[in-house]
Amino acid sequence: MAEAAANSRPQHRRAPLPASLIWGGVLLTVILALAIAGPSLSPYDLDALQLDMRLMPPSAVHWLGTDEFGRDVLSRVLNGAQSSLLMGFGATAVSLLFGVPLGLVAGYYRGWADEAIMRAVDVMISLPPIILGLLILSVTSPSLWKTVLAVGFVYIPIITRLTRGITLEVASEEYIQAARARVEGGWYILFHEILPNAWPPIIVESALRVTFAMLLAAALSFLGLGVQPPASDWGLMIAEARPFINSAPWIACSAGAALCVTVIAINLVGDGLREALDPRLARRR
Amino acid sequence: MTDHVLKVEDLSVSFPQSGGRARILHNVDFALERGTVLGIVGESGSGKSTAALAVLGLLDNGGSIDSGRVVIDGEDLYAKSAEERRQLRGGKISIVFQDPFTTLNPAIRVGRQIAEPLVMHRGMTEAEARAETLRLLKEVGIPDPERMAASYPHQLSGGMKQRALIASALACDPDVLILDEPTTALDVTIEAQILDLLDSLRITRSLSMLFISHNLGVVSRICDEICVLYAGRVVEYGKSASILTEPRHPYTKGLLASLPKMSRERHRLQPIPGRLPDVRKPLSGCVFAPRCHFAEPRCQTTPPAITPIGEDVAAACWRASELARTPWRIESSETIPRRVDAGDGKPIVVARDVERTFEAGGAMDGISFSLDGWVPRVSFGRKVVRAVDKVSLTIHEGEIVGLVGESGSGKTTLGRCLIDLISPTSGEVAIDGAQLLNASRSEKRDLLKRAQIIFQNPDSSLNPRKSIGETLERPLELVGLGREERQRRVAELLDLVRLDASYAERYPHQMSGGEKQRVGIARALSTNPRFIVCDEAVSALDVSVQASILNLLLDLREQFKLAYLFITHDLSVVSYIADRICVMRNGTIVEVGSTEAIIDRPQHPYTKALLAAVPKVPELRANLDR
Repeated sequence: MAEAAANSRPQHRRAPLPASLIWGGVLLTVILALAIAGPSLSPYDLDALQLDMRLMPPSAVHWLGTDEFGRDVLSRVLNGAQSSLLMGFGATAVSLLFGVPLGLVAGYYRGWADEAIMRAVDVMISLPPIILGLLILSVTSPSLWKTVLAVGFVYIPIITRLTRGITLEVASEEYIQAARARVEGGWYILFHEILPNAWPPIIVESALRVTFAMLLAAALSFLGLGVQPPASDWGLMIAEARPFINSAPWIACSAGAALCVTVIAINLVGDGLREALDPRLARRR
Repeated sequence: MTDHVLKVEDLSVSFPQSGGRARILHNVDFALERGTVLGIVGESGSGKSTAALAVLGLLDNGGSIDSGRVVIDGEDLYAKSAEERRQLRGGKISIVFQDPFTTLNPAIRVGRQIAEPLVMHRGMTEAEARAETLRLLKEVGIPDPERMAASYPHQLSGGMKQRALIASALACDPDVLILDEPTTALDVTIEAQILDLLDSLRITRSLSMLFISHNLGVVSRICDEICVLYAGRVVEYGKSASILTEPRHPYTKGLLASLPKMSRERHRLQPIPGRLPDVRKPLSGCVFAPRCHFAEPRCQTTPPAITPIGEDVAAACWRASELARTPWRIESSETIPRRVDAGDGKPIVVARDVERTFEAGGAMDGISFSLDGWVPRVSFGRKVVRAVDKVSLTIHEGEIVGLVGESGSGKTTLGRCLIDLISPTSGEVAIDGAQLLNASRSEKRDLLKRAQIIFQNPDSSLNPRKSIGETLERPLELVGLGREERQRRVAELLDLVRLDASYAERYPHQMSGGEKQRVGIARALSTNPRFIVCDEAVSALDVSVQASILNLLLDLREQFKLAYLFITHDLSVVSYIADRICVMRNGTIVEVGSTEAIIDRPQHPYTKALLAAVPKVPELRANLDR
């Protein structure tokens, strides 16, 4: 039936954007807006302790209740968005920045470059992410930016492997041979011929990575090597609320729900982008 | 009364598609007589594979039967429950698929794969199944069944795998064997052996076969009857010998006229213009009318029913009987001359002692450990395969050199060595008198403006992310043309390959295979080369499209005095297009000669074997009369 489809007139009009991209985009925009406006929107001071109002359930005064120090959960969730999103996106950007070129080089040039890169990747991947993150962070003093770099570094091998796999496939296509037949440089072949065809799976994986990175950063913060209390961060909030999960579930649930919605929004966008970026998929809609 | 083991009556099948259902088969009728072979012939999109799956009751992807019956040995397949259907099919029909390289499970021994259904369906014990497996393997001509049964699929050649698949198809002792392009993936000599095998099986087992193929030569070799499908409709149906020598339907005439034949004289091929109709659009009149130059007003309005013409053929064409002896087009008596004397042109490409070896495995595979007495030894060095072994070849201006050989002969490697896509291990390649190997990058870029390549697979030779305009502009950008000049040249190139200028804005997925191949040719032409390597450039195309591409390549040769190295496994195509033919085997050229000499007086036994194996289509009666 591909034949039949090819017979149809080409569509010069742009195909409509996929629904997942629109909904995900809207959701993500709202979340980003809240993250930016968070500090000015929050009804209470972030660190205002109200020791007489500890672990209060949601009420008209405190919409999402209070935590074990009597701090307003809604304010903390709103404020926590910034650091969580920053760590998620920042770390993913770091891993893409290094992982994609390494994967392209390994997959296209093969030989010793491939062996060297992939064995290094094997070593990194054999360590549990959290241990690797701890290892990196333990040699310096903790800070938000170092956490971003460390988490990004931890995910480089995954992006490298993925990119290499796709590159291997794309490099065997005849249009790459055609590019070599007109003596294109390696840079052009890697970034203009291969990369545009490798993007879709990388984008989907990146969307997934953002969420993992947010969770790993949260875990590192919990272990004292990431964001430091009393700063607010969703991961840190969940970690801190863990002892009260039975008596005051609203703390962990609020931060968890925020994380959850963000993850869904990012995944929707990732899925939608893949569809929108691929001219072959665009036709099927 | 004839004994029909399989009957398909008024079968219509449709598949879901965006905005409704698309009908893929329209009221198809055919019947398979016991002990005969019926060929289902058609180009891609004709619905031939769908027909096979419908007969098996294996339609997937939402395909459904809209009308009609499939009658197997007197029982209606689709009137039964799923379970009864499975049983009816299991004992009566088996299928052999096209690609022996992917049909066998690579993780299971061949013997096990054949024995499994014997235990499952025929209730044999393990020992019985094993004995039966060996017997089946012997029956399909495998010299050492014991060893074969113990092998994994990757240890076997393509021909052996196909034999094993046929053996497993025979395991349930079927009455009907469906063969879906069973020899398309195989080399021509292997193909001949498989066809011989099928022939003998038909006699010894009185097996009936439904043989699906696009290759008219193969069909003519094995089939008693032919059913020609076009856009999901039977357009011609009848005795094979009659249809192939005296086609009644214009489509069949066109197909045969598109076919390059092995002959000394070369007439221009006569492809069928246009393309398959859009299955989503409703159609009044004859489905072939838009591409048919015999069409009359009534053809546009009323579809012709398939009606008997003479004794042994039926065709769906209003004018079938009056056109019985009329060829697709009056063949011009003018022949396209071959360049017999290669000495007059100046040499464009000179390859001397080109050798290319490949090392097997990855970088780490080269290190091996062994024990020398008690002393462990580490040795380096990998297994070396010699793909091209000291080949010398000269190609002159305006000359078409055909390079034929079977898979693994090294012909593709040699072609790529000539333009340094693969660097030769040793030897020299000169283009226009300048050395290509060891040249600096800018020198190389300069040389490769004059030597380009056209690839086999239209789906993989264009970057799906780039519009045709971008693809064609890039080589021009590299030679330093300005933006406006580039766009002018792109329009010029598209015109050269007979595509509309608006194609510059299209993306590859919006084009048909033939159109993509034209873009591939335009890209190769963009820098005004003198020499082009055509690596199986027409092998992936349908016959009618192939014919128009061959015509185009010949025209371009005349226009620009281009030289081609035409690499192919298809001897008919090469004997049509080439002035000179090189036969390659195991990395060396075993015979070189003018096309005429190679076809008429082959010297090397391998060349003789190749030529003998090519399935031929009989000459049209209309041509013989002249």
